[in-house]
Amino acid sequence: MDRRRFLEVLGVTGGGTAALAGCSTDQVEKLIPYLVPPEHQVPGVATYYATTCRECPAGCGLHVRVREGRAVKVEGNPESPVNRGRLCARGQASLQGLYNPDRVRGPMARTADGRFEPITWDEAIARLAERLAAASGDQIWFVTGHETGTFDRLVDEWLNGLRSNRRVVHEPFAYEALRRANRDVFNVSALPTYDFAAATYVLSFGTDFLETWVSPVEHARGFSAGHGFAEGRMGRYVHIEPRMSMTAMSADEWIAPVPGSEALLALALAHIIMRDRGAAVPPDALRLRALLAAHTPQGAAARTGVAVETIERLAREFAAGPSLAVAGGIGAQHPQAHVTAAAVNVLNYVAGNVGRTVRFGPEPTVAFGGGYGDLADLTRAMREGRVGVLLVHGANPAYASPAGLGFTDAMGRVGFTVSFARFLDETAMAAHLILPDHDPLEQWNDAEPRANVTALQQPVMQPVFDTRQTGDILLAMARRMGGRVGARFTAGSYKEYLQQSWQALQRRLRNSQPFDVFWAEALQRGGIVTESPPRPVRLGIGAAGAIGEATIWAAPDEPFTLIAYPSPVLHDGRGANRPWLQELPDPVTKVTWSTWVEIHPATARRLGIAEGDFVEVTSAAGTVTAPAYLYPGLREDVVAMPTGQGHTAFGRYAQGRGANVYHLLSAEPMAFGGVAHYAAVTIRNTGRHERLAKTEGRNRQMGRGIARATTLGALVGSETPEAAHEEHAAHAAPVPERIEHILDEWQEAQYAEARRGNYAGEHPRWAMAIDLSRCTGCSACVTACYAENNIPTVGPALVRHGREMSWLRIERYFEGGEHGEPLETRVIPMLCQHCGNAPCEPVCPVFAAYHTPDGLNAQVYNRCVGTRYCSNNCPYKVRYFNWFDYQAPQDPTFAWPEPLHWLLNPDVTVRAKGVMEKCTFCVQRIRGVQHEARLADRPLRDGDVVTACQQTCPSDAIVFGDLNDPTSRVHDLAADRRGYRVLEELNTRPAITYLQKVRNTREA
Amino acid sequence: MATLAQPRTPVTPPTYAEITRDVAATLGNPSRGYYILLGFVLTVLAIGVGALLYQIRFGLGVAGYTPPVMWGVYITNFVFWVGIAHSGTLISAILYLFRSAWRTAVYRTAEAMTVFAVLTAGLFPLIHIGRIWYAYWLFPYPNQRQLWINFKSPLVFDVFAVSTYLTVSTLFLIVGLIPDIAAVRDVATGWRKKLYRITALGWRGTDQQWRHYLKAYLYLAALATPLVLSVHSVVSWDFAVSIVPGWHATIFAPYFVAGAIYSGVALVVTLLVPLRKVFRMERYITGDHFDNLAKLLMLTGFIVGYAYATEYFLAWYSGNQFERAAFWNRAFGDYWWATWTMIICNAFLPLFLIFRKVRRSIPAMFVLSLFVNLGMWFERFVIIVVSLSHEYEPYAFGHYTPSWVEWAILCGSFAWFFTWFLLFAKNFPTVSISEVKEIIPMPRKGRAHT
Repeated sequence: MDRRRFLEVLGVTGGGTAALAGCSTDQVEKLIPYLVPPEHQVPGVATYYATTCRECPAGCGLHVRVREGRAVKVEGNPESPVNRGRLCARGQASLQGLYNPDRVRGPMARTADGRFEPITWDEAIARLAERLAAASGDQIWFVTGHETGTFDRLVDEWLNGLRSNRRVVHEPFAYEALRRANRDVFNVSALPTYDFAAATYVLSFGTDFLETWVSPVEHARGFSAGHGFAEGRMGRYVHIEPRMSMTAMSADEWIAPVPGSEALLALALAHIIMRDRGAAVPPDALRLRALLAAHTPQGAAARTGVAVETIERLAREFAAGPSLAVAGGIGAQHPQAHVTAAAVNVLNYVAGNVGRTVRFGPEPTVAFGGGYGDLADLTRAMREGRVGVLLVHGANPAYASPAGLGFTDAMGRVGFTVSFARFLDETAMAAHLILPDHDPLEQWNDAEPRANVTALQQPVMQPVFDTRQTGDILLAMARRMGGRVGARFTAGSYKEYLQQSWQALQRRLRNSQPFDVFWAEALQRGGIVTESPPRPVRLGIGAAGAIGEATIWAAPDEPFTLIAYPSPVLHDGRGANRPWLQELPDPVTKVTWSTWVEIHPATARRLGIAEGDFVEVTSAAGTVTAPAYLYPGLREDVVAMPTGQGHTAFGRYAQGRGANVYHLLSAEPMAFGGVAHYAAVTIRNTGRHERLAKTEGRNRQMGRGIARATTLGALVGSETPEAAHEEHAAHAAPVPERIEHILDEWQEAQYAEARRGNYAGEHPRWAMAIDLSRCTGCSACVTACYAENNIPTVGPALVRHGREMSWLRIERYFEGGEHGEPLETRVIPMLCQHCGNAPCEPVCPVFAAYHTPDGLNAQVYNRCVGTRYCSNNCPYKVRYFNWFDYQAPQDPTFAWPEPLHWLLNPDVTVRAKGVMEKCTFCVQRIRGVQHEARLADRPLRDGDVVTACQQTCPSDAIVFGDLNDPTSRVHDLAADRRGYRVLEELNTRPAITYLQKVRNTREA
Repeated sequence: MATLAQPRTPVTPPTYAEITRDVAATLGNPSRGYYILLGFVLTVLAIGVGALLYQIRFGLGVAGYTPPVMWGVYITNFVFWVGIAHSGTLISAILYLFRSAWRTAVYRTAEAMTVFAVLTAGLFPLIHIGRIWYAYWLFPYPNQRQLWINFKSPLVFDVFAVSTYLTVSTLFLIVGLIPDIAAVRDVATGWRKKLYRITALGWRGTDQQWRHYLKAYLYLAALATPLVLSVHSVVSWDFAVSIVPGWHATIFAPYFVAGAIYSGVALVVTLLVPLRKVFRMERYITGDHFDNLAKLLMLTGFIVGYAYATEYFLAWYSGNQFERAAFWNRAFGDYWWATWTMIICNAFLPLFLIFRKVRRSIPAMFVLSLFVNLGMWFERFVIIVVSLSHEYEPYAFGHYTPSWVEWAILCGSFAWFFTWFLLFAKNFPTVSISEVKEIIPMPRKGRAHT
């Protein structure tokens, strides 16, 4: 190589690095500094915008951190009453929707040969207008996702202007059974709010209220407030479901009845409460007495497989305190799910919980509308050729509906299909015209996630691509078409339309501020919260009928019942194109990037199935094949599969992974109008085998006391641990004084290391406390850590090699579950323990593993040569090595294809190939807060530093602070009697104190 | 040791002239077979180098590493090759100090093997690190960034141990070669004559030269002797100072040293058998030599077997659940096959050496030495990989399988070693001319022509 060539190579590689580091786009050709900088735009200082999360219908408030005009992190909005500043993993991953490399980058039209071709917006709108003008009113159908605010009204009004009322709302998890039960029992078709915090006893009938059900972040906060151990008290939670879901992992007791028989159990409980007058039974419930009399515990026991004593005990416990029973989860949606929900409504009513822990909002029909039945009607209409123009926005029915419905085929008979999809999902792939919508983070919009909350959405940055907000398109279309529809709308843009709607809202609220002030305040706070008393509901006339048809759902003559449960990570499949979510281990199985079939180990043994064997699951509706996962948290006659995978389109991260469980579900709408997520199936081992891409090594902790638990009784009843320690010392063999002296000196010498760097307590000693009685294992912290710390996703092949980079992982261990013992699940977040006496530090030959004066176990990336000895010597195994170059676009392992790399946190280094990395306790946040404090000339206060995991934790399990500050929360918690440090006996002196999980085994 | 030194087979002693002639004959024109062999070895080396370049380009992920197993075949190879190196110094230096006459015929081979094995071993720490281009950061060199190395880290000890060993063993080899080079210089022609003239460093065989030479050789032997014990002790500390169950044991230093000599002697046997045949050295390397090497094998093999037993005993006796689980996993876990390969090859097969017939049977010794080499490679694999796969955190247990890149580099390392060895064997005397002459009876008058 001569000098010229050498310089050439150097220039190319250097230029490539610079291009990546500078995050430049093709449009930027000249670098011009700000002459007149935009207001509030200080380079290096973040701006936060309040908006609303649209990843699921819960509508959590967001604060989006924007640096130099780019959104780099989303966090919960503390002012939102829904999530109070917390977020789930899906919310954290919303950034990967915004910057997804597979977004539709501009309007596209299908060409004659079936491919999509970019067109201009003018042309696209002209084409649509032409088609709409040609179609007669009721030939125009509009499918949307679940919309609750102004956009919902716009669509209705717009359709109305076109003389159509063909509006279909398709939300795969629409809780039709629950709504039907509420209508039947209480004459209210809305969803109530559930006060988990006020309930000291929670009974879930297959409801995954911590995962996907209605508003999981809100529930997690309430649940941890009610069920987390504090000051000697905690609630009790019993979960009733044939499968132990992630939510059920937090339960004090898990009861697995015969699939589909939960209604009988609920009615038997109501029967006992009524019989014993265990609670203040409302007088109007007495008319159900005769009906309930038939549901004796003995009868229920025979059909549910739950012992009579257990039923009696549950009833006693349930009647004793402010309690709450919930039903209507998607994973428990069998063909008679509305009966279960109705029975649970009756149980709540009988126990006096309605109005107390179950509260209905002021409006009877807010929240969910529509349902699967409407989609089935649309499909019929399409097949019969009655659909001229189909518009689809925010829904993917071609994927998230049973294959038997034939939605995709039926779309072939539609004259003209327009998709407003942001991604080329299955439905968009079958469309004629794609008019990509803005991402929710680029939009103006609003939502009413629940009673009393109206949340605003504002654009947090300029649109990434050439997209347009659907509201604007509809308005433009109306203007263009003129006439009846044109006359309806005066607003020039969707933002104006939204403001008109908010002016009306302000008038309704009798708010006397100028609108500008009202609007600005709402924008700043992310929306408005109103006050209104809960609506009292009475037992409706249909209540008796609703539970009268209580027939146990009996699976037809097949050996297994399949439960298609909603994936807590991918939801109905809309999360499948987010690499963070694909790589997030499922909270229960710890499997990533794929679908699996959960089979009980005993069943698997009987059928000769090993983990990773591909199993063919066949129902009346179809067959899917997926690898087996042996899960002790199931009945032996049940198999379970998550939703969300098996996409045939939807971008590089989703396409062709796993299997679509909808293919096994019956297309027939059930009596309640929804899809049954239960099916009778047969299973067969195909003989093919593949190692599951799971992050877990062994699921038992081998008596090593890593995730510890105690019982409420032990904590409340017994003496303090200090006393126990003394007692232990008294029993120990006497140690000669001389030896004791030597031992003490030795220990001192060992601990001298631990003080190294912390010069006589001058500096903080950063530490963390994690309360395992609050941690639910939901894994929101894991995704938050990916987002904050620029952690690359590595894909399934590398996960199979254990090379995932997740600095923070949730370990899940099973206890019991064998020889008739009840199965218990424990979860523990495992991250760098920032040991005072860290084994990783002395073995590093180049001081890359280094102890900072404030007690952080730092990793100096640019000094690391990659001997990996630190990782070998780390007993917690929380160090992660860069096996490949994840930041090089030309490498196959590139983790941030354009424009995904826009979400990289500019405060955190992107690590190079060949270096070790690990949790830093969010050192960039610590330093940021320290700088701010210094500028403001004030000392740091406890709670100033918030790590990313702590910030997002929906159940507030993580506390971070300075151990040297005697007034800090973490200082108190480090001395808590439940506190322990993992593998403390190795003398590592970890900075993380775990507080034992507490199980409330108190039985009334 | 005294018994080891007694030759048992009375053979007609060769004369001085015959010795020079026979040994110099090995340096004759290489045969076709030699070139084919060298070509094969170079091809394998090229494959290994290609695999290494591929690894440097894409990252260490192309190897089979599966966390928590962060060290795999590369470190196994490193310890294996360092171990191999030890017997050379043992035979050449320690036995020299003990005046074991039988060593003279075999020590040159052993010593060359030592140098080439250290050369091979030294590559692996480089191959295994994440950023090979920064490997020089492991040396304490002055720099303006005031960066320094961590002398607490056993990896830094390694850097010094291995580089010292390479220096001393190379010196020892070169010094020992001087009189022999001078001897072949006198019979060589062409370019080799020039080479020998330079490398003989002006040796003329004068009394004064001999006096200085023998002193230097003695001092170097004395200097090299402690290294036999210290280098592999240091290597063992790579493991022993950690807190990994299965590594953290005080027995490691003597255990590793014994294992090193064991494997080294085995490789000496493996090399001598074909060498003796090809170079027609049956007169110089006799059954007695194999008998003595076998006894050394047996002794170190017994120490190694005893160390295995001690490890298991202590795992049980300590009552430490992590240790117990680690050793249970070794014997009955996923890698049981590796563990039993190691135990059978290293602890049970050497029992055959009790029989004199086996010790003196060259085919039996050859086969046995191959098994010992295999077993010792697996010993390092078991200690490194199996211990790491099963540490403290059950959630983080993992299973490692080497990838093709690692196998390619392993084969490449053997090719690298044999390339050196083949070049050496054809260019320098593999049997010491001067020292063999020392142990034959003094020639009678009238017959001495040198």
